[in-house]
Amino acid sequence: MIEIRGLHKSYGSLEVLKGVDVTLPKGKVLVIIGPSGSGKTTLLRCFNLLEVPDRGSIKLGDNSFEFHAGAKIPQKDILALRKSTGMVFQSFNLFPHMTAIENIMEAQVTVQKKNKGEARKRAEVLLEKVGLADKADSYPHKLSGGQQQRVAIARAMAIDPEVLLFDEPTSALDPELVGDVLKVMKQLAAEGMTMAIVTHEMKFAADVADHIILMDDGLIIEQGSPQEVLNNPKSSRAIQFLNHLNGKSEE
Amino acid sequence: MDDRQIQIVMDTFWPLLKAGVLYTIPLTLITFALGLIIAVITALIRLSSWRIPKLIAGFYVWIIRGTPLLVQLFIIFYGLPSAGIILSPYISAIIGLSLSVGAYGSEIVRAAILSIQKGQWEASYSLGMTRLQALRRIILPQAARVSIPPLGNSFISLVKDTSLVSVITFVEMFKKSTQYVAYYYEPLLIYCEVGVIYLLFCSVLSVLQNKVEKRLERFSAS
Repeated sequence: MIEIRGLHKSYGSLEVLKGVDVTLPKGKVLVIIGPSGSGKTTLLRCFNLLEVPDRGSIKLGDNSFEFHAGAKIPQKDILALRKSTGMVFQSFNLFPHMTAIENIMEAQVTVQKKNKGEARKRAEVLLEKVGLADKADSYPHKLSGGQQQRVAIARAMAIDPEVLLFDEPTSALDPELVGDVLKVMKQLAAEGMTMAIVTHEMKFAADVADHIILMDDGLIIEQGSPQEVLNNPKSSRAIQFLNHLNGKSEE
Repeated sequence: MDDRQIQIVMDTFWPLLKAGVLYTIPLTLITFALGLIIAVITALIRLSSWRIPKLIAGFYVWIIRGTPLLVQLFIIFYGLPSAGIILSPYISAIIGLSLSVGAYGSEIVRAAILSIQKGQWEASYSLGMTRLQALRRIILPQAARVSIPPLGNSFISLVKDTSLVSVITFVEMFKKSTQYVAYYYEPLLIYCEVGVIYLLFCSVLSVLQNKVEKRLERFSAS
């Protein structure tokens, strides 16, 4: 489904990804963890080319890309890739001038060229699914953070992506709102949605992940099943990071 | 005010108001609409990565903002005929004022577009939109909301700036008042009178501007 090989990315002299390989089979859930600045968000943003890598290759379904210094990726290939991925952001990024249902209809109409009636029907189904059928006509600023994020998930799903990407989807939420969002994500995982998730929610990761990647300083330092990575980490750096997280959550 | 002056005001008020409604207001509306189109195009070019068009757009804004509107109007109406380009007062006025609105407006539009969070672009792109689709559907509608107050100010300034075109023989409201002054020889009275009419126009516009802002607030985040 997704095959990433030897991914490198630098900003100026700062090397953020130093050769990363990822395989994500269809219907599986990949969770990426690691300290801030480890490159995990950059890696996720390479999945839909919001960041274009300097070197390496990405294969996602029928879309394959090879990256070299100076080589430009054709715009239409980038668009094709993005049509088969959906992304959920830390800060929601809902369109504030549109109601919840219009947010979910937008890409269906503008990108997929569906007619409005069809798009609305699909949006209604998705709103129902994330438990917000009654908020269809609310503007984003009238919704709580958790509700906004659930609309954002519905919006990302509206284009029927092959994979959903989550960039710290609960980090900007009040603690009591986190559960609603995680519940929706768990439900999607149970339905067989392919997902790649950057998160700090370790309990959630342990529950839903098929595969966990632990990143540090632009490299994958530990990976495997949740059991292997979270309970029996091998490297000292991984142990240090996981202890730090556990210490935090016991506060 | 004596009886004669009251009579003068009675005689000139309606013709002046009529000149305002027939010439000043249409001139304002036409030049603002054209200026706004120029402003959006200029702003988009300046935010693009096209080298040469960017230079040209930057040059245009630099020239218009760096020279007096009065001088620009003189060049267009009195200067261009020497180069073989003869324009009517009406066309000269529209060109001069539109170019001015376009230059100042482009900076407002540019700032408004830049004020929209990067996340809005990213969300649009993540859904498979092109840059043009993101601009049209997501960024510009939000930028419009941000630019309404400063554009409202430009619009009100423009109502007053139209009086400048009296110097290129365009008979709008102010030119009309100068003709009345020459006829009645009551400069204080008649110039105050025309000032009051401008004040009236601008006050109505301020109220409308407030209404538009209120209406757009329904989706504002804060």
